[in-house]
Amino acid sequence: MTNSTKNKARTELIGVPASPGYALGPVQVIANRTVTINQEKLPKERLANEEQLFLRALNSTVRDITNLKASITERVGVNEARIFDTHLMILKDPTLVDAILGRIKDEGQNARWAVHSRLKELIDEFEKSKSAMMRERAMDLRDLYNRLLAALDDSGPVITGKVKGQGQDEGAILIAHELSPSTLISLKKEEVVGFATDSGGRTSHIAILARSMQIPAVSGLRNISVLAEQGDTIIIDGTGGKVILNPDEADLRRFQEKHSMFLKQKQELFTMRQLEPMTRDGKYVTLHANIELPLEADNVLDFGATGIGLYRSEFLFFRKGTPSCEEQAEAYGYILRAMKPHPVTIRTLDAGGDKLVSDVSVTGEANPFMGWRSIRVCLDRKDLFKEQLKALILAAHEGNLRIMFPMISGIQELRAAKALYRECCDELAAKGVEIPETKIGCMIEVPAAVVMVNDLAKEVDFFSIGTNDLIQFTLAVDRTNELIADMFEPHHPAILNMIDRVVTAAHRQGITVGVCGEMSADPMSSLVLVGLDIDELSMTPWSIMECKKLIRSINYEDARATAKAILKMDDTRSVNRYLSEKYLQTITDLGISSFINSKDVGTSSDTAK
Amino acid sequence: MIRKEIQVVNRLGIHARPAGLIVDITGRAKSDVFIEYDGTRANAKSILNIMMLAVTPDSKVTFEISGEDEASVMQQLVQLFNDKFNEE
Repeated sequence: MTNSTKNKARTELIGVPASPGYALGPVQVIANRTVTINQEKLPKERLANEEQLFLRALNSTVRDITNLKASITERVGVNEARIFDTHLMILKDPTLVDAILGRIKDEGQNARWAVHSRLKELIDEFEKSKSAMMRERAMDLRDLYNRLLAALDDSGPVITGKVKGQGQDEGAILIAHELSPSTLISLKKEEVVGFATDSGGRTSHIAILARSMQIPAVSGLRNISVLAEQGDTIIIDGTGGKVILNPDEADLRRFQEKHSMFLKQKQELFTMRQLEPMTRDGKYVTLHANIELPLEADNVLDFGATGIGLYRSEFLFFRKGTPSCEEQAEAYGYILRAMKPHPVTIRTLDAGGDKLVSDVSVTGEANPFMGWRSIRVCLDRKDLFKEQLKALILAAHEGNLRIMFPMISGIQELRAAKALYRECCDELAAKGVEIPETKIGCMIEVPAAVVMVNDLAKEVDFFSIGTNDLIQFTLAVDRTNELIADMFEPHHPAILNMIDRVVTAAHRQGITVGVCGEMSADPMSSLVLVGLDIDELSMTPWSIMECKKLIRSINYEDARATAKAILKMDDTRSVNRYLSEKYLQTITDLGISSFINSKDVGTSSDTAK
Repeated sequence: MIRKEIQVVNRLGIHARPAGLIVDITGRAKSDVFIEYDGTRANAKSILNIMMLAVTPDSKVTFEISGEDEASVMQQLVQLFNDKFNEE
């Protein structure tokens, strides 16, 4: 590494450890476009239009945050996602919105100026507060400030130039105020060795992605994007949550020591990768990964996954304008090639509910989760759906593709989706495209599908149970509603019996059944699922290693017996107590108790006393 | 119009999350709702205004509600404060 930093001052900054590991490299600042506010009053006739501009930016910001919240809820947890509720509420607050509209209407300010002036006042007020808690919240307002101004700007975030370093091949360390999902999607993994951002915490989007890409990251550094300049050298300590800008010789030595120690530990953990996810009595459980971005596929094999159990294709659609057939085929092909010969299950567009796609979704439904979403949208918007199916067919020869339809509530929907798939095959075949054999499956996440599961099993090649929606619909519990959140109970006897019913129907037809909801990543629940004879568990990549350890420590016959016993129980409390007695010791002994959520710990300590 | 003084009994005071829970109630109310603390009066339908009061633990706030559903809104707010905002 050339030392281009002779004249620069060494600066050490403390932030939040977002993703573990160490990295050293040249700084690549992501254009944090300087905010220029044009403070010229607008003529009267343009004010109505300016109000519309602001409202549109407000809506798109609400949509972005709603999507982010959905993603965090799914991948990390409901509690971690709560901060976004505050953000969404602030975006509805008359103190903010009416004031901005007023400045446009009455004072002739342009939209950017009005957003800037009102939010700056609020940020100042929060920063001056006596309460530390309030001062921290100024950060949230700054996030919203950046989001609104970015939304008022059409061009969107851009990465300035390619990372070439100073004639070196190694990747750079990306520095930004905040990295948005859309920026991340455009990244090439070999060009990036670390992230450092001003905003965000352990649960921000960047943290989640960095962890699954195994790239060290530190967030919450407050002003790193201002301090760091293009070409500076920086050390990222994602384990300790620290960065050193323009490090000295001693820093570089310490970095080398820590870095090699980290790699050695990681190596040890990754020897697990070679081991089979097999119970002590020889039952093999397939472990797959859930991913959102194509580039995540580069790493899932290292985590010990033997396939992708769920690729959420809607993430390709979280942007302005729908992706073309070619763009989609390229993204799908990328994943298939990275995973070949392992299977890759791609779920067709699952928009709606809490995941809004700009050109497709409608807002303001009274019951979005039971609204125009998922396969329903696809069967109505055949143009869009057929583009996606064709992209899948075109990419299929790149690897081992499985196509999965979400939210199937009955055989008619399944047949309609399959008919469209065949139509696409025929149209492409007529153009001389070779059509590879592809497995077609569906998600089981609507209670009606469980009731009719024997019929569905005859017409698909596999099932995947989406536990989040299945639990929500079966128990009639909206888990984002705090008043009833504790009723969202994966071990409710109704849920266990439904899963059992699906497995029985699938195996009778000789097809496989997986679980791709959060349930498979909870240690206790994963053992329940193994006992219920689920063939495949699909989870966030970083849960796989732990899950494998767990599976290797138990007997399948015991898990079967435990599952049989809890299927006979009529209340959740008994189920949880029984499971704690059976499994808690094993889970704790393996040192993976941190994966148990607080509720499980509560239940188990009750029993212990 | 009804007024009532309520004791803040949760551990952390009215930070972002409790403020959001208050607005969950007041935002749906047909009545006008105001919150008073330490000599400052604020619109209780605004999460920003409530947060800016920076209400500390072990203090008292006063709600003033006027409108057709004032009684039920007050009752929900009292309940929320008594439940310590469902904090663990």
